Amino acid sequence: MKATVAFVKKEWLEQLRSGRLLITLALFVLLGIMNPAIAKLTPWLLEMMADSLAQSGMTVTDVPVSAMDSWVQFFKNLPIGLIAFVLLQGAIFTKEYSSGTLVLSLTKGLERFKVVVAKAGILTAIWSFGYWLCFGITYLYNSYFWDNQVARNLIFSVVCWWLFGVFVISLMILFSTLTRSNTGVLIGTGAIVLISYVVGLLPKVNEYLPTRLMDGHSLIYGVAEAKAYTAAIMITVIASLVCFAVSVPTFNRKQL
Amino acid sequence: MDMLRITDLCKSFGDKEVLRGLTLSVPKHSIYGFIGTNGAGKTTTMKTVLGLLKADSGEIAVNGEKVVYGQTARYIGYLPDVPEFYSFMTAKEYLRFCGELGGMRRGENEARARELLALVGLADEPHRIKGFSRGMKQRLGIAQALLNRPKLLICDEPTSALDPVGRKEILDILLAAREQTTVLFSTHILSDVERICTDIAFLKNGVVNIQGKLSDVKTRYRGKEYMIEVETEEALLLLERTFSNMKRIDRNKVTFSEDKYSVSDVLRFVADQGVSLLKAERLEPSLEDLFMEVTEK
Repeated sequence: MKATVAFVKKEWLEQLRSGRLLITLALFVLLGIMNPAIAKLTPWLLEMMADSLAQSGMTVTDVPVSAMDSWVQFFKNLPIGLIAFVLLQGAIFTKEYSSGTLVLSLTKGLERFKVVVAKAGILTAIWSFGYWLCFGITYLYNSYFWDNQVARNLIFSVVCWWLFGVFVISLMILFSTLTRSNTGVLIGTGAIVLISYVVGLLPKVNEYLPTRLMDGHSLIYGVAEAKAYTAAIMITVIASLVCFAVSVPTFNRKQL
Repeated sequence: MDMLRITDLCKSFGDKEVLRGLTLSVPKHSIYGFIGTNGAGKTTTMKTVLGLLKADSGEIAVNGEKVVYGQTARYIGYLPDVPEFYSFMTAKEYLRFCGELGGMRRGENEARARELLALVGLADEPHRIKGFSRGMKQRLGIAQALLNRPKLLICDEPTSALDPVGRKEILDILLAAREQTTVLFSTHILSDVERICTDIAFLKNGVVNIQGKLSDVKTRYRGKEYMIEVETEEALLLLERTFSNMKRIDRNKVTFSEDKYSVSDVLRFVADQGVSLLKAERLEPSLEDLFMEVTEK
């Protein structure tokens, strides 16, 4: 336990001093502010363009904006946040492989599974903190400008999306123990998500795929009900746990 | 008892056989010089002892405990050839981190870190490791390796990349460490070996050719070469005329092999002719000679 704590502390210090933590959090704060801002600015933007639109035969009347528009933006912007997160944190293992810094830690008697636990833990913590920070900012602005009540299943839909992020982290960890390079991690993680997305275009299979959890849009509009997500949630949780679990023996066998 | 015992160790990378049945034993409290050319298998052997590489076959025991792949025995301290640290930390923070990994108590950790940083001359270094020179990193490397008072200290070519001053510092630290630990260090710098080693092993093509106490090895491989030093050049010419197979190595020195002339014959001649003798000695083989002999065989 002491060794795990020491390693987590080291990861934390690294996040702090390399500036990666700051950049990640700044990004989520920015996204959190952008969602309501874009919604708020939409009528004004349309008004600015009213003249040119009128020339092409369209008339701009009053554009009603509600919290819904802001939440739609929220789900639209989340992939950007997640991709940036993966790019920023993808090298968490591979950087240590290429620099050889893990060798000394391991020869101090540190057990390898503790490295996996510490790194998975710190990634999940940063993702969760950043994500909920982004959510919180959007939520507060929305309740100030409009009314959050209009969005259905709100908390459930954002929990689903958060869970999808955890699944992506488990993929990052798994590919970090399978490959040696950062590119390998990015390609592996990206490929799995892409496959899930493409296969998910078939409506029948979509229900069972992790990428289904990204569809918060249908939930807040009430097009889909919460129970339609149960299968996807179960499968995502199991897949994440499997990825984390498989990472431990693959990392144990890895030659450093 | 031996601190480290390696029996019949084999390891290949693909179809390249690096170790072919390496057998080695390192006695307690020795400074063991592990000598070999580049690519002889020194680093592979050390990494296998550390549990960082998986052996194909063979057995390794550290302080009587069998080494398992993936887990370093708790008695070992390791200094890699180019140690890499978390560059965002200071030397002090790094040692604290190492102590915590090894499960040291806080007070003990602080005291030990202070003591070691003073030993390696980094006590007043406030900067992060990012800006350290190679010599500083090497010294910090020794400090981290000694932190949890290992029974076996493994150093992979600790002096190869350093200037003469840096080398001397490292050797002095290793010599001082001998009181508390057993040191196994690989090198191809033979003067370092002569300076501090008590025992040596020559590694070639994945097997150990010669091993034992430095003095024993030297005795065992003592050649049949003798050297005679006389006062004047005339005396030398006289010797050379009589014993035509003697080899002149200096203005007043010749060497000869016992295969050609018996020592008693030569000395009798010297006494009979009243040659003004300065010195007659049996030549000690230098480590260089041994090294060449082993590597060229």
